Amino acid sequence: MSLFGIEDRQWIFLATVVFVVAAALRAYTALKLHRKAKRPSTLMLVCFGWILQTIGLYARGLEYGGCPLSNRFELVQFMVWSAIALYIFVGPAFRVSFLGMFTSTFASVFSILSLTVRSWDSPSRVPIFGDSPWIETHAALALFSYGVFGILALTSVMYLLQSRSLKQKKMGGLFPYMPSIFELTQINFRLLAIGFFILSASLAIGAVYWFRETESVDQPKLGTTIVVWFAYGILILLRSRQTLSYKQYSWTCIAVFATALLSLEAVDQPKAKESPLLDSTPPARSP
Amino acid sequence: MSTHHGELLLITINHETVSLEKRERYSLGDAQIKMLYDALHHSPILEESLILNTCNRFELYSKTSDPKNGGAIAFKTLASFYNIQREEIESHARIRFGQEAIKHLIEVSAGLRSQITGEAEIFGQVKKAYATCQRLGYSGRLINRMVQKGFQAAKLIRQSTQIGEGQINISNVAVDLSLKIFGSLKNTSALVVGTGETGEKTAKALRSRGASNFGVASHHSERANEIADKWGGNPHALGELETYLNDYDIIISSSETDSPLLDARSLAKHMDARKNRPLFLIDLGLPRNMDASCQEIENVYLYNLDDLAKIAKDNLSERRAAIKQSEKIAAQKSASIWQMLESRGLVNFQ
Repeated sequence: MSLFGIEDRQWIFLATVVFVVAAALRAYTALKLHRKAKRPSTLMLVCFGWILQTIGLYARGLEYGGCPLSNRFELVQFMVWSAIALYIFVGPAFRVSFLGMFTSTFASVFSILSLTVRSWDSPSRVPIFGDSPWIETHAALALFSYGVFGILALTSVMYLLQSRSLKQKKMGGLFPYMPSIFELTQINFRLLAIGFFILSASLAIGAVYWFRETESVDQPKLGTTIVVWFAYGILILLRSRQTLSYKQYSWTCIAVFATALLSLEAVDQPKAKESPLLDSTPPARSP
Repeated sequence: MSTHHGELLLITINHETVSLEKRERYSLGDAQIKMLYDALHHSPILEESLILNTCNRFELYSKTSDPKNGGAIAFKTLASFYNIQREEIESHARIRFGQEAIKHLIEVSAGLRSQITGEAEIFGQVKKAYATCQRLGYSGRLINRMVQKGFQAAKLIRQSTQIGEGQINISNVAVDLSLKIFGSLKNTSALVVGTGETGEKTAKALRSRGASNFGVASHHSERANEIADKWGGNPHALGELETYLNDYDIIISSSETDSPLLDARSLAKHMDARKNRPLFLIDLGLPRNMDASCQEIENVYLYNLDDLAKIAKDNLSERRAAIKQSEKIAAQKSASIWQMLESRGLVNFQ
């Protein structure tokens, strides 16, 4: 669907361009000019990209009359949108310098990927929610938690880079611009707790419907979702007990997020059997 | 000496022109600064003045209505004020005129002329000096325009070059690294092992950045008590290091020892109890106080004297490049400020 004369994918393409520019400018300022770019300049660019992306997703949502979460392209875009929203609205509280560059790089990579692989945006797919706003909330929250875990994976990468630089005594590159390793460990734990809470809330909502109609969710989707939830649950337990070293913890956060991304594959699979809960007539997608 | 554009003159006595012992006599308190302003403005040819007085420099910027004699009058007044021979004060000072004086002001404000090149404190000191000058009523159109535009140029230098980036002495490099590990030093505790000069400087630098919990360890408990009293902190006997090691996050060691005080094996025993809390080992000792194997342990960051010196050297070479770039900006900006002053008829009126 188009909004203001621009198609939804085109809005998202423009947003991706802005994310790429934000990431490139921030990296160029640090690595080439050796200057600390001021946070507002990065934040403004990322905000602008996020607004463009919001318009694109809104236009797509108008087509469905709900959250645009019907195919892999939309799932990835919604996850990126959530990660950026977290950076914009919660990021300042974290006071993590350079998070903007990492977040805009993350957004650029996933956005470019989802725009490039045309099959991810299959026009033949139908919305997955039927007429239940709770299932829509369940899906939106789950994707939002993936956005949080995406940021967690980024701050884990930042920790590993910073720790490696300190161990190897290499003070160049991004080292001077990144936060302390102690701050990163604190933020990582907060992100894990926030993401786990949101994912748990999402699964709790989903479980209510699943108990009513166990056939409504395919086994692969159910299995992978539970695996991801358990993985983050175990991680939060190990981190609370300080069983894992920070290095192990960071690597695990990255690995679990990669697994969570793969679980989108299962979420995106066509359902073997349409559930009565989802039995609504979807509006026709424009080709 | 050339007095071209002598309507604006600068007399500077600083660490580049004279030794500390001789510089000391030019240091002034607030009341004395006011007296000096009054003395200078007894002469009708000195129309505006700005005195900058810091621990490392005395500077007088003046606008004079008599470019040929303004410098001589200023030196005569200073000699009388400090009660020393005019020839002597002239030998301690450098005099600059016109655009060169503006360039000097920009370079001083940006930290280019500081003993520790690039330090930022001087900018605040120049601002304070200008505020005093304004309050006492000795600044006029020329000084005001020159200083305000000079401040803008100094800010530009600090923002667009790396002049203030990276520490260039070992103690400050160690503090910077501590910040990169712990973020804030307010909740970190540091143990100083041995009583070497660099160790003391590093402890002081850590304290100045917020570290408050200190311990002092020495081979002899009497010596530890003595140093703890002097520097502040808890005294410890070095022989019992392993009993209090876990109380500290940063260990600065410069002890004379034949064998390493810590190695990977002895440290490994403590790491579980630390629960992932990082440990920063700063080994300033020769021979080394910490075995290189300590670095292999996760969450332990070991830096010896060579490591810190290398970082300081790298920072210095980057700063040298920044100095060249900054001097170029100062020259360009001083030229444009001078043109602006000319266009307003504030200089070049002879």
